[in-house]
Amino acid sequence: MIRVNDLHKEYHVVKKGQGLSGAVKGLFKSEKLTVNAVNGLNFHINEGEIVGFIGPNGSGKSTTIKMMTGILTPTSGEVLINGQNITKHRKEAVRDIGVVFGQRTQLNWDLRLEESFELLRHIYRIDKKQYSETLEVMDEILGIGEILSKPVRQMSLGQRMKGDLAASMLHSPKVLFLDEPTIGLDVGTKYSLRKFIKEINRLRKTTVILTTHDLGDIQQLCERIIIINSGVIMEDGNLSEIVERIAPYRTLKVEFYDSDIPKHERAELISEDNNVACYKFFKSELTAAELIRDLSGEKAIKDISIEEAGIDDIIRIAYGIKNVE
Amino acid sequence: MSYLYVMKTQLIRSFTYRFDVYGNIIMQTIIMVTTAFFWKALFGSGSFGNGMTADKMLTYTIISSAMSVLFTTGVERRIQRSVQQGSISVEMIHPINVFGVYFAEDMGTIAALLFQNLLPIIIIGSLVIKVPMIVSVSAIPMFAASLVLSMGINWLLAAIFGMWAFTAVEMDALIQVKKHLLRLLSGSIIPIWFFPDSLRAVLEALPFVYIYQLPLDIYVGSASTEDILRRMVIQVIWFAVLGTAFFILQRRVLGKVMVQGG
Ligand SMILES: Nc1ncnc2c1ncn2[C@@H]1O[C@H](COP(=O)(O)OP(=O)(O)O)[C@@H](O)[C@H]1O
Ligand SMILES: [Mg+2]
Repeated sequence: MIRVNDLHKEYHVVKKGQGLSGAVKGLFKSEKLTVNAVNGLNFHINEGEIVGFIGPNGSGKSTTIKMMTGILTPTSGEVLINGQNITKHRKEAVRDIGVVFGQRTQLNWDLRLEESFELLRHIYRIDKKQYSETLEVMDEILGIGEILSKPVRQMSLGQRMKGDLAASMLHSPKVLFLDEPTIGLDVGTKYSLRKFIKEINRLRKTTVILTTHDLGDIQQLCERIIIINSGVIMEDGNLSEIVERIAPYRTLKVEFYDSDIPKHERAELISEDNNVACYKFFKSELTAAELIRDLSGEKAIKDISIEEAGIDDIIRIAYGIKNVE
Repeated sequence: MSYLYVMKTQLIRSFTYRFDVYGNIIMQTIIMVTTAFFWKALFGSGSFGNGMTADKMLTYTIISSAMSVLFTTGVERRIQRSVQQGSISVEMIHPINVFGVYFAEDMGTIAALLFQNLLPIIIIGSLVIKVPMIVSVSAIPMFAASLVLSMGINWLLAAIFGMWAFTAVEMDALIQVKKHLLRLLSGSIIPIWFFPDSLRAVLEALPFVYIYQLPLDIYVGSASTEDILRRMVIQVIWFAVLGTAFFILQRRVLGKVMVQGG
């Protein structure tokens, strides 16, 4: 479905000097800087997969997505979508893909949502029947019926995102790319977005590739994740296997009735704050049930919660491991 | 056709949302009436060398004002906005040429302005100054052909200018300078027959006079058929040259956006 072969991207930026003297110097000679944003990516994505693309800020996620969607030319390497090179056959290959950027809309600010949709219908030559069917499905999943006649510039971020999601699916693409789609969204809209991704994946077998910093997005949507840092793949595989391997611990947060906090020999006490303590424990050594039983044997427990290792932990650890190697 | 749909949407939008139409009508009326009075005072009832009369000059003035409506372009600002906001690369996600979209938008705007501006200007001109009749019915096809080419040249110049200038910080000032320079150099206000011969020769080599002066000369009949035909050939050549330049430039701009990342 999607194949990425030895993908590289270098940006060339002109380094600007500071202040007046810098500006004057800049008139005569400019220093060119090369930023290696993406450094040799290789991966393959099958039809119907939902893949989470994660990594810290500036790690090259957006650059990769832009190259995969044909709006950025790779320095070297290639992206094949259904066997078609997206850079060389952009006009044809883009028919198979839909794109949503969290920070930028593809909708025309000046138009009402339905006018933007109608325009896309003409651009992609979607027949009326298929168009209204898709629109109905989108309304069911996202509830866009009520914002159809609203101009995009008057929309809230959440409404605009719903509009963008629906717009990206109008031509029934086989692959949908989402770059930080949940950024800045409220809980309700985030929920709709996740439902949307699950539904289109289930109903239409749409392959989904998304970047996010939201742990919830990843846990609820992605079976597979690709971790990238400094333009290099750190990890690529099944989410639970990766977590199991590089962050096989959990944290138990316990609230006691007083600040006399008990210790446990097989769990590390990582923080204590008045009555609340956090224990880090490895699944292989200790089950949550055992830990709770032992702790409650020593002190009365008021409340508990268990947390999996966070995405940030995973990214940090994945990065750390590669550094050591 | 998606470009036609863009044009249609823009047309409808212009009718629904435009608030600045009256401003332009008032501006054009002021320019038109002032120029008309100026010519009246200058000519009296006499005539000028090449068979021009005050009467013809008034027609020239009204039609020139009306034509200015057809040369409205938004493409410069559109390019600037898309590049600055980085939306141009997002616009490129769709299998459609972004410059084609900008062109269609401008045509939609102009179509709306035909009713909102052009018609009112001609009506006001007819009432206040005179009814601006074309010199002869047989001049109509030539006038129409040359006008279409004028619009093409004008749009291409605007688009090329927009692509060249999008790196400039003070784009708005540049657009204004260009607009007024163009009106001056194109014979829109003062016909270039009034310019000294040497300057006139220079202007005839530049594309600007083929925007206003040529169609106007055809309309009022102020040049020989031979002269008109010769200039129409030059007009076609300019159209082709600018069209080619535009085509090459837009490919380079889009290529640059795709390499640098919008
Ligand atoms: N258009 C650009 N020009 C120059 N450098 C860029 C451009 N876009 C991104 N970069 C640089 O490339 C690197 C990767 O950026 P990006 O792909 O946006 O990362 P991410 O999306 O993971 O945060 C960063 O160092 C960033 O500063
Ligand atoms: Mg990014």
